[in-house]
Amino acid sequence: MKPQLSTTLIAAIAIIFAFHSCKKNSGNEAVVSVEPAEVIHDFAHKVAFATYTDLEAKANLLFVQVQTFNVTNSNTDLASCKQLWKDTRAVWEKNEAFLFGPVATEDMDPGIDDWPVNKDDLDTLLASNQVFTSGFLDSTQTTLKGFHPMEYLLFGVNGIKSASEFTNREKEYLLALGDYIKRLSTKIRKSWDPNESGNYLVNYTSAGQTGSNYATKRAALEELVNSMIGICEEVSGGKIEEPLAAQNPNLEESQFSQNSIVDFTNNMRSVQNAYFGDYLEDGIGLNKWVNQSNISLDNKVQQKLTAAINSFSLITVPFGQAIITQQLQLHQVQEKINELKDVLEGELLPYIQAGVTD
Amino acid sequence: MRVTYGIAILCILVFAYGCRKYNELDEDTLDTRFSGGVNTAFDESSGAFSHAFPELSANDLAVHEVGDRHFEISFVTAPALIRPGLGPVYNNVSCASCHIADGRGKPALPGERLLSMLFRISIPGEDAHGGPVSVPGFGGQLQSNAVYGKALEGSVNISYTEEPVYFSDGQSISLRRPSYVVQNTYIPPPAGMLLSPRVAPPVFGLGLLQAIPESTILNWADEQDTDGDGISGKPNYVWNLRAGTSTLGRFGWKAGAPDLLQQTAGAYNEDMGITNPVFDQESSLGQSQFDGLNDEVEVSDSILKAVAFYTQTLSVPARRNIKDPVNVSGEKLFTQAGCNKCHKPSVRTAVDVSFRAVSNQLIFPYTDMLLHDMGTDLADNRPDFKANGLEWRTAPLWGIGLTQLVNGHSNFLHDGRARNLMEAILWHGGEAQAAKEFVRQLPKSDRDALLSFLASL
Repeated sequence: MKPQLSTTLIAAIAIIFAFHSCKKNSGNEAVVSVEPAEVIHDFAHKVAFATYTDLEAKANLLFVQVQTFNVTNSNTDLASCKQLWKDTRAVWEKNEAFLFGPVATEDMDPGIDDWPVNKDDLDTLLASNQVFTSGFLDSTQTTLKGFHPMEYLLFGVNGIKSASEFTNREKEYLLALGDYIKRLSTKIRKSWDPNESGNYLVNYTSAGQTGSNYATKRAALEELVNSMIGICEEVSGGKIEEPLAAQNPNLEESQFSQNSIVDFTNNMRSVQNAYFGDYLEDGIGLNKWVNQSNISLDNKVQQKLTAAINSFSLITVPFGQAIITQQLQLHQVQEKINELKDVLEGELLPYIQAGVTD
Repeated sequence: MRVTYGIAILCILVFAYGCRKYNELDEDTLDTRFSGGVNTAFDESSGAFSHAFPELSANDLAVHEVGDRHFEISFVTAPALIRPGLGPVYNNVSCASCHIADGRGKPALPGERLLSMLFRISIPGEDAHGGPVSVPGFGGQLQSNAVYGKALEGSVNISYTEEPVYFSDGQSISLRRPSYVVQNTYIPPPAGMLLSPRVAPPVFGLGLLQAIPESTILNWADEQDTDGDGISGKPNYVWNLRAGTSTLGRFGWKAGAPDLLQQTAGAYNEDMGITNPVFDQESSLGQSQFDGLNDEVEVSDSILKAVAFYTQTLSVPARRNIKDPVNVSGEKLFTQAGCNKCHKPSVRTAVDVSFRAVSNQLIFPYTDMLLHDMGTDLADNRPDFKANGLEWRTAPLWGIGLTQLVNGHSNFLHDGRARNLMEAILWHGGEAQAAKEFVRQLPKSDRDALLSFLASL
C-alpha cells in the first residue's frame, strides 16, 4: 500500500510553494506584493485610528444633542438623542474586533461599556443631593457610566420613554453621561492618535523594532487575528448564548434600546473591517496579503464573514423576543459565527504564523 | 516520484521541528519554551495569559468557559434582576476588573483611585487559627468602595519618594519608595492598624502551582538555613476552611490561601462583597454598612467552582527566544547570582489520576512557593499566619516578559512599586541581598543580558 500524504503535509507543501511563488507572476515579471508592514500600517491608521476618530465625532454630536434636549425637553430632540446614541454605539461596536492596547489596559472599555446598569445605585443617586459635575462620573463604579446607563435613561425600561417622563435629575445625569462619554471618546482617540505622545499606534506599527510591545510583525498580526477571534467567541458564546440558554431577556445587553442585533452585526463588521484594513476609506488589509498567495483561504474568510453578517437577517424580532420565539434562527446565527471563528482560528492564524517570518 | 517524496520529507522535517508537541520531546533536552508543560500557550499577543489548557475534555472546557464568563461579569447592587449582590462595601465590581486579561494589577499614582490594588489590614496578634486579627469595624481588608448611599471603609493615598541606587560602574537608577496614608475612614481606625498593600497577581498557571507536590515544597524548605547558603525558605500554614485545619499555603503574596477554591471564594467575599458557600456572611457584617438582608449566597456553589476551575486551567505562556545567546548568557547570570535558589526554575507536578491535565508535568514556574525574608525595604510589617512582616512568597516569574504587552505596564512586586524588572531586582533585600549585590556589581552588558533573559520568560 502506498503511503498517503497527510492533509497537513499537503497543506505544508501548498504553503511553502505558495509563499515561494507569490512574489512573481508566470512571466518572471515582478508584481506589486503586499507586505505585513503595510497591513499593520493600514490597520492602525485606517481602521483603529479612523474608528476612534469617528467615535469621538459621534460622541460630540451626542453630547450636543443631549444639551439641546435638556433645554427643549421636546420629543423630537429626545428622538435625535436616541438615534445619536445608536450612531455612537454603532461605532463603538465596530471596534470590538480590535480591543487591545490602552482601550483594554487603561479601563477605557469597562469605563464606556460595562453592563448591567446598577439601577439600584442609579435610583439612589437620582434621589440624592449629589451634584453631577463634569468629573463626578470619573470616580463612580463602571456600571453607573457609559453607554448603558445612558441607554436606560434615554429609552426607559420598555424602550418607549417620552420627554415628559424625564425628571430634572435624570436630565442632569444624562448631561453628565454625555460629557463623560465625549471625554472618554477623546481619550480613546488620543490613545491611537499618531500625533499624541505615547500613542499606541506607533507602538503597534513599529512591531519588530526596539520599544514596541510586539517583538515581531507576526506577533502584531497575531494580536489582530486573536482579537477578531475573541469577539466571535464573545458574540456567539456569550452575548447570544447566555440569554438564549437561560431564556432570560434581562440578560440582553442593549435591552432598553432593543439594539442588540445591530450591536452584534456591527461586531461582525468590526471583524470585516479588521480583515479588509478599511473603515471609511480603502486600505491594505489581511485579505490582500492572504490573497496574493492563497486565494482560496481569502475567499473562504470572506465567504464566512459575509455569511455571519447576513445571518442576522434571519432574526426578525428584537433579540429579547428572539431568544423565545426564534431560537432555531439564533442557533443558525451562532453556527455562522462559529464557522467564521473556526476559519480565523484554524486557518488564518496558522497561515500568518507560517507566512510572516519577521 | 523521488523528487516529490524528497519535498515531502523536507516538509515533514520543517514542520515537525516547528510543531513538536510537548509529549514528543525528550526530557533530557526538554525545550524550555514549554513553561507550563503540556499546558503551554504559544501566543505572543495580549491574550497570552487567557488560554485554556489545550487538552481539556469537552466537558471541562465547557466548565472553564462558564468560569471565564463569570470571571468577567460585573456585579451590581441588590436587589437587581441579574448580577445582584455587590457590596455594600467592596474593592471592585468583577474579577476581571483587577485581573485585567488574567494578568497583573498596578498601584494607583498619587491622587488616583485604587483600581487593581487593595490593602489587607489587621491589628497585632493572632486569631484563633493563627491568622491575622481582623480590625474591629473594618475586617481583614480595607474596602475602598461602597454602593451608593453607604460609606466606604476608607481610602489610601499613595505617594512616592525617588531614591537613586548606583551600580558599581557608576550608572544609577531611581527607585520609588511608596508611602501610604489611610484616609477618609468611616470611623477612626484603631491605633497601630497594620497595612499590607497587594496588587492583583496574574491568575494563569495556578492549577499547575496547586499541583506541585507538598513534599517537593517542603523538601525545598530550609527554615533554619542548615545548609548555610543564606537562603531559608519557610512554608506557610494557613487555615483551610473546608478542611477545618491548617494546611500548606500556596496562593496570594504571602501564600495566605491553601487552594484556589478558598482563594476565589475569599476574593468574591472581600473584593466584591459577594457571599458564597465558603464565605456566606457579608464582609460588612457587624458594621454600619451591613444591609441587614439575610441574603442567600450570591454566587452558587456551581459558579464558584467554575470560576475557581477557570483559574486552575489557564495555560502558561511559552518562553520566547530561548536560544538567543544573550538570553542564554542572562540565564547563566541568573544562576550565578543565586536567584534560582528561591526562583526555582523547574519542578514536576504530582501524578493526579483524577485530573490528567495537571498530572506529572515538568513546568518552569521559577518559584519555590516558600516564604523568604525580603528585607526591611519591602516589609509590610504585618504577619499573615506563619509569614512574618518581612516575608513574602517567592513570586513565579513565568510570563513576566509579557506583562507590558498584556497589561500595559511593567510594575512588579507585591505593591507594584517597581516600574521595571531592574527596579524589582534592586528592591530585593534580606535573603536576596547577596543576589542583588551580585547584580549591582555587573557591567551593563551583563545586566542587560539578565534582563533580556527575564523578558524571555
